[in-house]
Amino acid sequence: MKEQPVVFKGTRNGLNIYVANDSDLSEILEAAAGKLQSGKPFFEGATVNLTFIGREFDSEEKSQLLDIFSRYMKLGEVAFKSRLEPEEKHEKPDRDHYDFFSGIEEGMTRFIRGTVRSGQRVIYDGNIVIIGDVNPGGEVIAGGNILVLGALRGIAHAGVTGNAEAVVASYCLQPTQLRIAGFIARAPEGDTEKPLYPEVAFIKDQQLYIEPYLPGKGRQADFILNNKV
Amino acid sequence: MGEVIVITSGKGGVGKTTTTANIGTALALTGRKVVLVDADIGLRNLDVVMGLENRIVYDLVDAVEGVCRLKQALIRDKRFEGLYLLPAAQTRDKNAVAPAQMQKLCDDLREHFDFILIDSPAGIEQGFKNAIAGADKAVVVTVPEVSAVRDADRIIGLLAAHEINEPQLIINRLRMDMVKRGDMMNIEDTIDILGIDLLGVVPDDESIIVSSNRGEPVVTEEKSLAGQAYRNIARRLLGEEVALINLETENSFLDKLRRMFSGKNNKRQ
Repeated sequence: MKEQPVVFKGTRNGLNIYVANDSDLSEILEAAAGKLQSGKPFFEGATVNLTFIGREFDSEEKSQLLDIFSRYMKLGEVAFKSRLEPEEKHEKPDRDHYDFFSGIEEGMTRFIRGTVRSGQRVIYDGNIVIIGDVNPGGEVIAGGNILVLGALRGIAHAGVTGNAEAVVASYCLQPTQLRIAGFIARAPEGDTEKPLYPEVAFIKDQQLYIEPYLPGKGRQADFILNNKV
Repeated sequence: MGEVIVITSGKGGVGKTTTTANIGTALALTGRKVVLVDADIGLRNLDVVMGLENRIVYDLVDAVEGVCRLKQALIRDKRFEGLYLLPAAQTRDKNAVAPAQMQKLCDDLREHFDFILIDSPAGIEQGFKNAIAGADKAVVVTVPEVSAVRDADRIIGLLAAHEINEPQLIINRLRMDMVKRGDMMNIEDTIDILGIDLLGVVPDDESIIVSSNRGEPVVTEEKSLAGQAYRNIARRLLGEEVALINLETENSFLDKLRRMFSGKNNKRQ
């Protein structure tokens, strides 16, 4: 089967249009018009950033192409690329994109009311506050800090965009696995005692520490292993 | 109008079918009109546990597809006044029925019965979706094992996503001797993780296996501790306040002696 001349792919930043290298302009225009027609109600009135990837166009061809697109949508930023740079493929928020969220003092926060149960996953670019428990099998992934007002028994990943300043705090910190930026720590083997105080996990000197929420409260927790990924 | 209750668990083999059979029978014994619906299409068991296998002519899929009238597919249990079974098809699979059809089925049954108990299959796929489609309420069955509790947690999340909130929990096959030795999760730990209301605790009991094989629900046995637990669960479903039964059995003279001196094991479970 011949490769399709044009493939549309929606991304967070707009529309990526993959154009086959060996296709004729007429083929491309026809295929694009067909796809735009079928998606007409979807595109209507929207401002869309377009990134053309693949075949190279001269300026005459470019204007013909954009002419078709502009009949169906308002054009945002338009770019032509020979291939997609690898960092644009990341689904997860990456460091470059989320540089604005590097601090831990403040920022956008998402509140979740209720328990994050097995199989459920909460993802947010900023801070996450769970008013409930996080059960084994549940995951909480934040660009910033994670605070659990209950027991944290599942997986928490704070500072997922590389923010090593981020912390994870919970009233009862018993995670299956704890990650901050690139650090991963897991619960020790065997039974552990239920912590008596709220605890905070953070990174200091390339190590992941877990300590009571205030220095001097409760006993020092020293059981978490640390491995840099 | 009757109430539709789905009995589900996520994990297989924790006792959904046994629980359905026993709660249904116990409810029927209190004079309610009850129908047990086996939603485990392709792997039907409820008819066997109820001892009604040889009376199946039509099944749930026949009724849904209009091969027969709903009433024709219902099997009346002659031993218990007001108890009926809607058996699953054995030669079909879960895709033979759609959630909307199950919903309609439940609504039809609702007009004729006080309680409609749906025995859900294990898993979270089509069969589970069918089973919960028409339900007003859910009872989640688990055993005190980490894997079963994990699956129950997942199921509670899925039930909430389908707007079946506040399910109730049955902890099945609890062994008090193992709990005391610290070898089994206790009731408090289980509830702490799942965070839902406890409907009852059923002790591990050999008589369950015997009665399931014979096709006679264990609730009919006065002496069985598990039977007592199921009768209590039925009463709680009817809105009565019933204390949990004392699952601690006095094994030996030594046990009694130990208890007399320690004093702290007298906690009623």
